[in-house]
Amino acid sequence: MAKYLAKRIFYIILTLFIVTTATFFLMKFMPGTPLTNQAKLTPGQIHQIYKQYGLDKPLWQQYLVYLGGVVHGNFGTSFQFSNQPVSYLIGSRMGPSLTIGGEAMVVGVLAGLVVGAIGAIKANTWVDTTATIISILGVSIPSFVLAVLLQYYLGLKLRWFPIADWGGFMYTVLPTLALAASPLAETARFMRTQMVDVLSSDYIELAKAKGMGKVGIIYHHALRNSLIPVVTIVGPLAVGIMTGSMVVENIFSIPGIGEQFVKSVLTNDYPTIMGLTIVYCAMLCVVLLITDIVYGIIDPRIRINK
Amino acid sequence: MADNAKHISAGDFKPISAEDRGNLDSEKISAPSLTFLQDSWRRFRKNKAAMIALIILIILFILAFGSNLFETHAPNATNPNLANLPPKIPGIDINGFNGTLDQSGQRINAYAQAHAGSKYFILGTDYLGRDLFSRILYGTRISLTIALVASFFDLAVGVVYGVISGWIGGWVDTFMQRIIEILLSIPNLVVIILLMVILKPGMESIIIAIALTSWINMARLIRAQTLELKNQEFVLAARTLGESSIKIGFKHLLPNLSSIIIINLMFTIPTAIFFEAFLSYIGIGVSAPQASLGTLINDGQKNFQFLPYQMWYPAIVLSLLMIAFNILGDGMRDAFDPKSRE
Amino acid sequence: MKLNSFAKLSGVALLSALVLAGCGSKSSSTGTKKQTLNWMVPSSISTMDTSKMTDLYSSQVANATNEGLLRMGNSKVTPGVAKSYKISNGGKTWTFNLRHSKWNDGKPVTAEDFVFAWQRTVSPKTASQYAYIFGNVKNATQISAGKMSPSKLGVKADGNYKLVVTLNKPQSFFKYMVAQGYYFPQEKSIVQKYGSNYATNATKNGYNGPFILKGWNGTNDTFKLVKNPKYWDAKKVKLSTVNFQTIKDPSTALNSYQSNKLDFTTLNGTQVKQYKNNKDYHDYLEASSFYLEMNEKKDPMFKNKNIRRALSLAIDKKQFVDKVLADGSIAPKGYVPAKMSSHNGKDFADQAYVKDAVEYNLAQAKKYWAKGLKETGKKSVSLTLLSDDTDGAKKNTEFVQSQLTKLPGLKITNQNVPFKTRLSRSQNGQFDLVITAWIADYPDPSNFLDLFTSTNSQNNGKWKNAQYDALIKKSESTDANNETARWNDMVQAEKILMNDQGIVPLYQQAQSTLMQSKVKGVQFFPTSPQWAWDKASIK
Repeated sequence: MAKYLAKRIFYIILTLFIVTTATFFLMKFMPGTPLTNQAKLTPGQIHQIYKQYGLDKPLWQQYLVYLGGVVHGNFGTSFQFSNQPVSYLIGSRMGPSLTIGGEAMVVGVLAGLVVGAIGAIKANTWVDTTATIISILGVSIPSFVLAVLLQYYLGLKLRWFPIADWGGFMYTVLPTLALAASPLAETARFMRTQMVDVLSSDYIELAKAKGMGKVGIIYHHALRNSLIPVVTIVGPLAVGIMTGSMVVENIFSIPGIGEQFVKSVLTNDYPTIMGLTIVYCAMLCVVLLITDIVYGIIDPRIRINK
Repeated sequence: MADNAKHISAGDFKPISAEDRGNLDSEKISAPSLTFLQDSWRRFRKNKAAMIALIILIILFILAFGSNLFETHAPNATNPNLANLPPKIPGIDINGFNGTLDQSGQRINAYAQAHAGSKYFILGTDYLGRDLFSRILYGTRISLTIALVASFFDLAVGVVYGVISGWIGGWVDTFMQRIIEILLSIPNLVVIILLMVILKPGMESIIIAIALTSWINMARLIRAQTLELKNQEFVLAARTLGESSIKIGFKHLLPNLSSIIIINLMFTIPTAIFFEAFLSYIGIGVSAPQASLGTLINDGQKNFQFLPYQMWYPAIVLSLLMIAFNILGDGMRDAFDPKSRE
Repeated sequence: MKLNSFAKLSGVALLSALVLAGCGSKSSSTGTKKQTLNWMVPSSISTMDTSKMTDLYSSQVANATNEGLLRMGNSKVTPGVAKSYKISNGGKTWTFNLRHSKWNDGKPVTAEDFVFAWQRTVSPKTASQYAYIFGNVKNATQISAGKMSPSKLGVKADGNYKLVVTLNKPQSFFKYMVAQGYYFPQEKSIVQKYGSNYATNATKNGYNGPFILKGWNGTNDTFKLVKNPKYWDAKKVKLSTVNFQTIKDPSTALNSYQSNKLDFTTLNGTQVKQYKNNKDYHDYLEASSFYLEMNEKKDPMFKNKNIRRALSLAIDKKQFVDKVLADGSIAPKGYVPAKMSSHNGKDFADQAYVKDAVEYNLAQAKKYWAKGLKETGKKSVSLTLLSDDTDGAKKNTEFVQSQLTKLPGLKITNQNVPFKTRLSRSQNGQFDLVITAWIADYPDPSNFLDLFTSTNSQNNGKWKNAQYDALIKKSESTDANNETARWNDMVQAEKILMNDQGIVPLYQQAQSTLMQSKVKGVQFFPTSPQWAWDKASIK
């Protein structure tokens, strides 16, 4: 286990190193400059500003300086928010993103499991068809369309929830729903397939033959064994939520990092783009690592020594 | 007990004729012989939802790619005097289709107000007075083109990568798998956005960005399948007979991989459609006056409260495309999957 | 100043400040209402360090929390920290007498706080993107280029309450500049205490204005202004709190306004149409100009006046503002915006109006076009049209494209790129046609006209006219201290630019807003900081 962990952590570090390097050099190809007032500045002034940000040094030196900073959790200073370290910017806006992302993940996966399980148990009935329709709609309606509809109908027309802004649980409801649709659908689909498989397996037949009740079979055997593989799709679901948060945060005016990422891209704020790219990657790496470990623990058939 | 065994005379025997021999063949297949594809098609046809999805897709394809024939107006022709007109279909007098809309709490006839005369737009017009119906057709074509081309490239990269990795094996395989593991832990939309910023915005860039980032899944599936096929007898036989690796790849591997490729493609296309819409929505996708479903939704979203049709129609078409591809994908998987054979 | 639609850069002063007339129904319970205003900004504020500010919304907040020598008022500047000022030495020396006012921590605001702040902004170490705005203050340019010590800047404290400023050349509109954020004082002890963290959040800052900023952590989207009891004119400040909410999506902002979460919001085109007759609706003209530049260097055909005139005549500006933008923006009378500056009661735009240069006449356009093509020996032309990639800018390019392609043989390809990419392409001459926007740094025509002198780096199209250059030069030298002569020079210069169609003016932008009728006295200025709340109240 320790050996496995060490190996995985080595790969995570290698991944982050590659991502950092690639983003750093990609940023240098970005057109335009981060200066807002470039037009009015004299070349001497521009040079001075570049010097302040360390942009006048040779590329390899800039790279080494940046890499050194990243190791210490320093991603440089934002161009958009002057004198604001990128790490602070990310740190202070991470909370809301994690909150709605986490809520969407929990709501999506739990609801997805229920919908999927019910679909499998009542396979080939109208209940199953309804469950299938829900899961198809969930993956097919983009989160940005859903967010607009939720805001307009539940927020403005019915006034059940706040339209936008941040501050307390009620404010998280609509963005969470908009983000949860896709993981719900994916989980439901996956769960249904798993459970149908399990329900037709020999040990379930055996349990039936031994006179076990339907509830008992589903609870003791089917549910458990179908749940385990669901852990493997948590990683891809997390990616989907990250993606969705970029627009959902904007629509609901949530002070998070997804919205900030899009903003930095549109304003050439290189340090913030690089910082957020690395943070996104690190988050995904950690999610993948945790799910793999959890999978190994709960499913004795998988050994993770290798 | 007395031995009452019946005596068997030589006359009881006769030599079997060729005809008799035929009747005795236990290997005979009574049902008509079907190829793999025919068999899959037979199963696919039974799946009603998938058939409907297929028909919807065919219709959408014909509408989108033959849009010159169906467009009621040129998609990029502007007429600011007729901007933001609601849908109007002559002869239908239902709110939403009769050219009226709510303005400051009153229901007004927008067409009369704009002096549109006898002109009508079945799905209304946008902020520059362009016909929304024609723009949706046009946008669908752009979205589908991007999705199809991107999926094709992603398929090409993925299949080649997977086959090479699986076929050569050894350290090459290990190395290639490590690369995939690393790429898997990078959120691909982040990469697409970075690429889009560096490349010139436009269709080509989106295609490149999507193709470069989404081949991984394909590569993994293909590799697994290749590893399995590699050790099967027919490949071994081909090898023993001295076939070159490339020939084996094309003649033996590819046909056997085809079902996996097709199924995966069916799931890649909606993903690509979604990515394109997403990029266009956040403002780094196709550039004006080109429209894609993403840009149309983005434009419509701003006025959703007053001109809901501007978002509803492109959103419905986008969702319909995604739903149809997803259902079709499910149907094809069931049809191709030997496990679901009855 | 270059304008981009999600971060309109801040500028200096404002001439005609507009007090929103309170013409709604009178409430009987005046004075008992909770004095809280809920305000919307479409973009986060980036810093409160007045040396580093580059965006409009930060300057708006800074203008509420701090105060310079003078203060923007209704159509004029009013006394701020300076009680009075005196101009001498042929307009080159400005002497300000400061009042005894206090920072919010009780320390006095002294002349040294101004000297310190100004030196800090021009110092290369600060890397301020606004150092150029001090260009006319003695030695500023050499200092910001790192060739001179900041202590040599032409500003001196004469005792605690007298400030003497030396300029390179006379500048009548300097009074507007000192009312703007980058000329504000900074509390020396606070700046030194926090170093590079100065003004990166609400607490690491000193305030001498009508309000104090609270709850801003440097990156968050909601914060508030509360009344500053230490402000010298505090008794005139009626609001106790202004709550700010950053909403980037326009339909979200409107939805919030409708559910009474906001007392103010800005509107976009379609929303305007719905609200035009609402009692809450108001629109305000900005001192901005949107125009088309033609690259004479890259495409010599643009040296032909007939071609330039044809492009102008082919664009229906009236239809553009009424039907496409439909947000209160107006068709231009020329290059310098209307209702920004006037002399002897006459608006600059009216005086310099050249009808031919801004009207629409497709038949004429086609005639000029054919003539121009013949003269330049071309049959068909394919051009690119460069602009920003914001929604507003896309609308602009799509409209202009559709109008220009009505000229036979002209093909236009749109290039919508990010703001900064557009800037660098414009400057490097990588375009055929570009839509440029300029918002005034200060409400003086010179801020616009300077751009089209032949040596100005902002003259992207490289249009040249010796007579124009001479007039601008004259207005800055011989006529600098003679208001009327200077005014006439500038009017003439603009007429030359327009008669020669050096650029094609497109429109002057307006801000369309909704404000609850209970809100009175919020001030709007056509230039930065646009909005001020120190005279506002809730009735």
